[in-house]
This record gives sequence, structure tokens and C-alpha cells, in this order.
Amino acid sequence: MNVLSRLTLPAVALSLALGSFGLAQANTVKIGNIEPMSGPSATLGQQGKAAREMAVEEINAAGGIKSLGGMKLELIYADSESKPEKGVAEAERLINTEKVHVLTGCWNSAVTYPTTAVAERYGIPFIVPVSVADKITEQGFKNVFRIAAKDSWWTRDQFSFLKDMQDEFGTKVEKLAFVYENGDWGKGFATQWKKLAEENGYTVVLDEPYPSTATDLSPVVQKIRRANPDVLMLVSNAADAILLTNTIAEYKVKLKAIVASGGGHADPSFMKAVGKNAENLFDIVEWETDVNKPGAKEANDKFKAKNGYNLTGEAVDAYLAMYVLKDALERAGSLEPAKIREALAATNLTDGPGMIVGYDAVKFDASGQNENASPVIVQVADLGQGLERVTIWPKNARRAGYTPVFPANK
Amino acid sequence: MLYVIEDMINGILMGSIYGLTAMGLTIIFGVLKVINFAHGSLLMVGMYAAYWAITLTGVHPYLALAIVIPVMFAFGYALQNIVIKPIFIAEKNVREPITVIIVTTGIWYILDNLTLLVFGPQYRSLTANPLQGQMFELGSMFVSAPKFYGFIIALVTAAAIHLFMQKTIMGRAIRATSMDREAASLMGINQYRIYNVAFGIGAATTGIAAVALIPFNNVFPTVGVLFDIKGFIIVVLGGLGSISGALLGGIIVGLIESVGPQFMTATWTEAIVYGLFLIVLFVKPSGLFGQKHDW
Repeated sequence: MNVLSRLTLPAVALSLALGSFGLAQANTVKIGNIEPMSGPSATLGQQGKAAREMAVEEINAAGGIKSLGGMKLELIYADSESKPEKGVAEAERLINTEKVHVLTGCWNSAVTYPTTAVAERYGIPFIVPVSVADKITEQGFKNVFRIAAKDSWWTRDQFSFLKDMQDEFGTKVEKLAFVYENGDWGKGFATQWKKLAEENGYTVVLDEPYPSTATDLSPVVQKIRRANPDVLMLVSNAADAILLTNTIAEYKVKLKAIVASGGGHADPSFMKAVGKNAENLFDIVEWETDVNKPGAKEANDKFKAKNGYNLTGEAVDAYLAMYVLKDALERAGSLEPAKIREALAATNLTDGPGMIVGYDAVKFDASGQNENASPVIVQVADLGQGLERVTIWPKNARRAGYTPVFPANK
Repeated sequence: MLYVIEDMINGILMGSIYGLTAMGLTIIFGVLKVINFAHGSLLMVGMYAAYWAITLTGVHPYLALAIVIPVMFAFGYALQNIVIKPIFIAEKNVREPITVIIVTTGIWYILDNLTLLVFGPQYRSLTANPLQGQMFELGSMFVSAPKFYGFIIALVTAAAIHLFMQKTIMGRAIRATSMDREAASLMGINQYRIYNVAFGIGAATTGIAAVALIPFNNVFPTVGVLFDIKGFIIVVLGGLGSISGALLGGIIVGLIESVGPQFMTATWTEAIVYGLFLIVLFVKPSGLFGQKHDW
């Protein structure tokens, strides 16, 4: 106790004295990362951590931030446990005690939402790699910058994809069928689909919510068959995605395309369980390992060698976030939060190791949302090594040498 | 019109399979007078047994019955003898052995989570089997072949159980125990042995249902839960303890599920099934085909 207080007292005094010079005295760029390190989303927090570390190691090894005299980046972590109140408390601590220059996080939208308010109050820039709830960048904050696409953009991109495919392959799509699990997720998608279908002049021939717990989906498949749509759009969990895919094949339903929304269709056991029946299915995801961007394969190989699993959408956005920050720091040439904020707002990152995403530039709009962000769309295809997911959209991220099958009539 | 016929056929076929999944539940209840909450887990165990029997040996899916029936009978027999019997004995003087119900709930959780540990959360299905996606095409009508075979299996199973209960000594002993366990004991019937056998038969019947389902349904650790709730509704609809009631209750649920969605969304048909369940409970608690009986 005595020893401890003797050591801490001068330390406290020193830090108090240095308090006002704290920023100027820093010899690293301190990045506070609030992530779920334990609790239900811990694996996702770990993915984000591994990706940040890989990026920061690369940046530091390449000489740090040159405009700050080669200053290194330093990552400081805080565990949100996926709890909003924990995220808020940790943000306060990181800003006041750790004197971080920038914050990032928090994966769970429910944590990110209140935590960004803390950063806004202190004027500390907050980079959100992935937290998809629309409202995060709709609070009128000046210090929030989101890399990932918003929730509502997924449906928007499914429709842009449909339009692009029609233009590219000269096949007209008129009638759409919406079939979705009857929870929050499915219904949310369907509401946006209906609006988009109307705006784009499609006819909706079937709008069918079904219970995910269904043990027989042939009545739903019969409805699809009788409605005779050109394109079927789905939101499904895993068991029902398998059941639907097999039943659609059994009833020989002719469709120009099936467009799924991740979830069950992206489940690792999905393709194994349905086999050939999944062929030509389109699915939307944040990122896929085969995305045709320079450095994507190398980054994935390096990540896999280190962590034993492929880069995920969450990891890629966290990786990119570090390079967005580096780019901003170079241009800011200062650790002043306001200067960093200005630089972030003026971001137009088009190349560099971080740009392994499906779109071509990171640029933030007035609300701080990356206006180019978009998920990618894959097609399930057998290219000789069994079924795999092949990136096909956006067109410039398409796997080299692959021509999508559209219409995907079997 | 053609649509309605097509949907009714699917409803009857799928419904009879639902009835088959619920048959084991009704047998066990009829004799032990206990709702077996682990019933869905028994179905899940049966599906895993069938899945592995078929994938490892490569036999035709229905040949797996030769393995699944004895395995499930032994499993049910052992489960009752080792886990449930001691509770029955401890609660010998209680009219309604509620604790047994709680024990079956425990068994449900243990089985589901053990499966999760051993086989992981993956969804599995028999991808290459001679029945996969096989359809009878009658003009523009489609009838699923594995569901049709499942319907036959359900009818044969129901008939076989009926004959067994009526004609064999063991069957008579089981019926005697289910009517009055005290009187049966006085006649020299070992009621715990009857419980073991009844539980074994219930589990074996559930195993048959699992084999009927496996050609067109996927297997995962919580698959039983989906059929569990349906099973309870079917058994109550048809009358607790009645084999033919289970079959008919299943067909009613199947018809609602299959024909209903053509007039409304699939979500609504689920609500109708539950609504019917409540109405039956209010109006005729003994079920549509069950007799009034003091359990």
C-alpha cells in the first residue's frame, strides 16, 4: 500500500501538470476501440480486433504517419460486452483517462448509437466500421464516420443489382415475388422492397411472410409457382432457407433469378445441405473472399495465416477503417481532434492496402456516412471445385473470368 | 379447383406424417399418463440415428428402419427404466406425477444440448438419396413421392400398433395398465415394466416418423422443437391417448397448413391452427376423437 501510494502520488501529480500538454506530448496516435470482447458477440469483437491489429502493424512497419514525423499508431481496447451502458462508460474513460485521439467501434448498433453521443460531446472523431442501423448517422453529429453500408442500403442494392443485370444481359424483369420470414428482419426488408418495387415500376405478384418454424414449406412454394414471378426475393433463416431451396427445385419452379438476403442463405451449412439445388442463387453479403480487388487475396491469406479463418465483412471494414484513419492523419498533420475530424470529412480514399472492398472509393457525406459503401452480390456456382460463392456485383469487383448466369432458369 | 385438390393431397400426406410424429407422444401419454416434453428430442435423436445410418451405410433411406426401430426402442426403454422410473417410484402415492413432467423437460434440454456439443449446430440433409426431390407428376399436379411413402408408413404403423395392442398379451397388459394401473398390478402385471415397454414403443414409433421425414427434411439439434409443439396440438385435437385420433389430428393440421395459405399468408394459417387448438380445449377438452375419460 505504502509503496503503491508513493509511486502513484507523483505519477498523478505529474499527469496533472502535464494534463493540458497531454495532446502535444503524445508520442503515439492513441486509438480507442470499444468492441464486444466478451458476451454474445465476442467472436465478432475478436474479428474486429484481429483486423485492426493487422492494419496497424502494417502501417507502423511502413513508417507510421509521415506528416507527424513517423508517429506510430497505438490501439487501446475496451470491452463493451455488447451492453450500451458499458460502451458509454468506456467511451468516457477512454477520452478522459486514456486521452485517446480517435474512437472506433462498437459493432452492436445498440452500443454504437449512445456511444457516438459521448464522442460528439467531447468533439472526438468516432469511426464506425460496422454497425448498420440507419439512425447512427442520422443524429446530426459532426464526429461520426461510418464505413459500412446502412441497413436500408442492402435492399437498395438488391434492386440496383436487378437493374444492372437486366441491362447487362438484355432480359426484362417485370414480376417480383417477396417471400420472407415473418420476424422483424424479414418484415423490415419487405417494407423497403415494396417501396422500391413501386419506384422502379415492377409488379409485385406475391407478398408472403411465413413462419421460420414451418415444417413444410410446399404450400408457400405452390404459391410462388402459381404467382409465376420473374424474380423471387427471399429473407430466410437457415432451416427454412434449406427447406425452401429444396422444395423450389422439387416443384420445378421456373424463375429468372432468386435473390436472397444473407442470413440463412449465407450459413456455412446451407450449400452443403442443399447441394446442386443452390446453383445460380444470388445472395447479398458485406464482402466475399474472392472480391476482384488488388490486394484482397493477399490480405485474406495473411489474415488467415494469422487467425485461422477467412476475413469477414466485419474484419474487412475494421481493416479499412485503420487505413481511412491513417489517410486522414497524414492530411491533418496534427493530433488536434478538430483537425482530424476535418481531414476525415474530406476523405476520398481510392487506393492503398485498405481498399479491398467491393466499391471504389471511401467518401463521407455530410452525415458522416460512407456514401459509396455497398455490399457485394454473389452467385452460387460450381467452377469445378464444388459449389462456391462467386462475387459478381458490383461489376468491377466481379471475379475475373466469370460470367453470371442470368436468367438463371434451370 | 385443381389447385385446391393438389393442396389437399399435400395436406393429407404431410398431415399423416405429423400424425406419425405425434403417435409416440400419445402412446406414452396413454400409458404413463405423463406428457413427455422430451418428445421432440426423441424425434431429433431418431433423425440423427436415421441420418447416420443412411449416410454411413449408403442404404436406401427406408432400409434405415431396420436400424432405427430397435435403436430407438432400446433408447426409449433405457430412458424410462434409468431416468424416469425412479421418479415414478418416489412419487408412487401421488395421483399426478408432476415431477416426471419436469424430468422429461430436463431430458429435452440435455438431449438437445448434447447433440449440439457432439454434432455442432450444422444443418444436415441427405443430399444424394434416391428419394430426394422425387415427384409424381399427375398432369400439372405435383405430389411429393417421399411424402406419399410417409403417408403409407404412417397408416401401416398405426394399423400395426392397433393390432399389437388388441391381439398380443403384452398389448393387453399395456391397455390394462393404461385403464387402471392399480387393478393391473393386482392382476400380476409389473407396471414399471409396462411403462418401460410403452416408452420403448413410443420412442420406436417416433423413430419411424424420423425415417419418414429424413428424405425431405433437414436435421439439426433443435429440429425436434418444431415438431414438438405441433405434436402437442395434434394429440389434443385428436384426443389424448388415441392412435387414430393422432393420425386424424395430424391430417387436420396438415390440411389447414396446406390449403390455408392459398387464401391468406402462411403466417395466418399458423394462427388458425393454434386458434383451433384453443377452441377444442374450451369446447371438447377430451379432443375430437377421444373419449371422456378420467385420467
